[in-house]
Amino acid sequence: MQIGRAVLLAAVLSLLPAAVCAQGTKAPSDAYLYFVWPQDGTTIKGAFWARFGLRNMGVTQAGSEAPNAGHHHLLIDVNEPLDTNEPIPQDKSHLHFGAGQTEARIELPPGRHTLQLVLGDAKHFPFNPPIVSKKITITVR
Amino acid sequence: MGLDEEGTHARVQRQKRDLIEPTIAEHHGRLVKHTGDGFLVMFDSPVEAVRCAIVIQQSMVGRNASLPRDQWILYRLGVHLGDVIIEPEDIYGDGVNIAARLEGIANPGDVFISGGVYEQIKNKLVCGYQSLGDRQVKNITDPVTVYRVLPDPAAVVQARKTHLPIGTLAALGLGAIIGTAGWYWFAQERPAIVRAPAPAIETPKQAPSPQQAAAPARPQVIPDPAPRPAEVPRAAPAAPPAPVTAPVAPAAPVAPAAPVTAPVVPAAPVVPVMISLAGGTFAMGSNDDPSEKPVRRVTVKPFAISKFPVTMREWKACVAAKACTYSPAADANDDAPVTNVSWNDAQQFVAWLSQVTQKTFRLPSEAEWEYAARGGTATKFWWGDQLQAGMANCKGCGEPYNTTQPQKVGSFTPNPFGLHDMGGAVNQWVSDCWHKTYAGAPVDGSSWLDGDCSSRVIRSGSWRNNPDYVRAASRDHYDTNVRYPTHGFRVAQSP
Repeated sequence: MQIGRAVLLAAVLSLLPAAVCAQGTKAPSDAYLYFVWPQDGTTIKGAFWARFGLRNMGVTQAGSEAPNAGHHHLLIDVNEPLDTNEPIPQDKSHLHFGAGQTEARIELPPGRHTLQLVLGDAKHFPFNPPIVSKKITITVR
Repeated sequence: MGLDEEGTHARVQRQKRDLIEPTIAEHHGRLVKHTGDGFLVMFDSPVEAVRCAIVIQQSMVGRNASLPRDQWILYRLGVHLGDVIIEPEDIYGDGVNIAARLEGIANPGDVFISGGVYEQIKNKLVCGYQSLGDRQVKNITDPVTVYRVLPDPAAVVQARKTHLPIGTLAALGLGAIIGTAGWYWFAQERPAIVRAPAPAIETPKQAPSPQQAAAPARPQVIPDPAPRPAEVPRAAPAAPPAPVTAPVAPAAPVAPAAPVTAPVVPAAPVVPVMISLAGGTFAMGSNDDPSEKPVRRVTVKPFAISKFPVTMREWKACVAAKACTYSPAADANDDAPVTNVSWNDAQQFVAWLSQVTQKTFRLPSEAEWEYAARGGTATKFWWGDQLQAGMANCKGCGEPYNTTQPQKVGSFTPNPFGLHDMGGAVNQWVSDCWHKTYAGAPVDGSSWLDGDCSSRVIRSGSWRNNPDYVRAASRDHYDTNVRYPTHGFRVAQSP
């Protein structure tokens, strides 16, 4: 009797953390998110195509629960730290590519800007561990 | 194959439905036919064709990553540009044959393109392209220049070091057929068993590439009408012919359509409360953001718009009637605005509402939305140029506020037209396709529907945006087929 109860308790406990961080979709530890273009320090004239690179994971549409796959988000001049417990924000500095796009035409005012990629899961939450590119700085002339 | 034939087949079919067909539609391709374990697609643009191929291959990497190698499904994709003869259920010509041959010599997981495609896309798609030289392919007189697409240019150097198997045979054939121009690629999928390092492929039923590649050229009657997949992810309006049992009376409760939930649902009207507006001329846009320029005089005809964003209760009635696909959490607050709905989802709702009420409901146009949001004012916010605490539901707009969800509708003061949450609460879909400025926009209050409609306009900002997004002129956009947790909508009617 005692044993039966103990087993049941353990099962519930192990389920709890899963329910609490339902959003922490697992990502392979070797996944690598990066900018194919532009590169850090690039000076660009006018609008440009930003291209997103991803290794050891796949790109899929938002809403798709396919394992080891996500969709891109481009963060422009964002300084706030990434909150992994909330969906990646949607506004003019957090561009979403939920249709599975791997490139985007970007137009920025002249000056220095930072760009960073964050991979989102089916529900736009960052993965666990977060798949984030290096934050690069570009200059638009 | 041989190993778990049935399971592999099921996975291949699932991928076709979840990945291949939507991706083709996304890139404006036309799925001409399935050929056993392959398929043939026609595109109007070589850039779109290659993009589509890359997206499929990259998505497959992710899908395979969680599986043991012996269960990987790999596609070989070939893209060619040329003339084709278009029949209702098939296409013919050398162009098709060359695409098929390219597919035949491609490595599993790779995209091979012909020289003609390469010339068209080399400056438009920043990929790596590895030249594989001229290849003689079966039944085609002239050799075909072949390139291998590397989604990441950095991989070019690496690829040059590895030895690539040189493909296939030479044979002669005749065939000069002229037809309509089209682009297409041919894809042959291999539910393959990949053994250890070398990509040794065992195929299910057929011998290696040449014979298989020849398949698409054979005139076959495929019982699969070609245009079917073109609108797969966008065909929202097609859904409502679901059996709607709700009564026609506008204010009727939804009980008959949802026998299971009926006892719990209070007898609330499913039809949103509408407010009629007289219409008129107003200055649309602002100089606060490049997307809101130029400011234009726009005249809006009389119309009605819902007093609140569509609520969870109203949405759930549509779900209960099986006319709306997206099902919110059962414990969602009925009085909160519906969230996490895509533009396509909203189309299902207005189509259903129109059917049960026998009145035409639609999304407002962007001009109608801004006219309604301004409530006759010309200031940044309807209450003035300065932010005032407690006037809207946004991050930084004051109490009441909750980071995880919007306040229930009607929590804030209505604007002079009696409308609530025209700014803040939830982003609200309108019918217009996205354009990055108003240059060339209609001035008669109608919806702007030309251009790229894969992305539509959202207005109002949400509870997670800062006050700048609450401004009456603020505008943004989002993919029509993607759901996001702050997106909702309101409905409109013409008199």
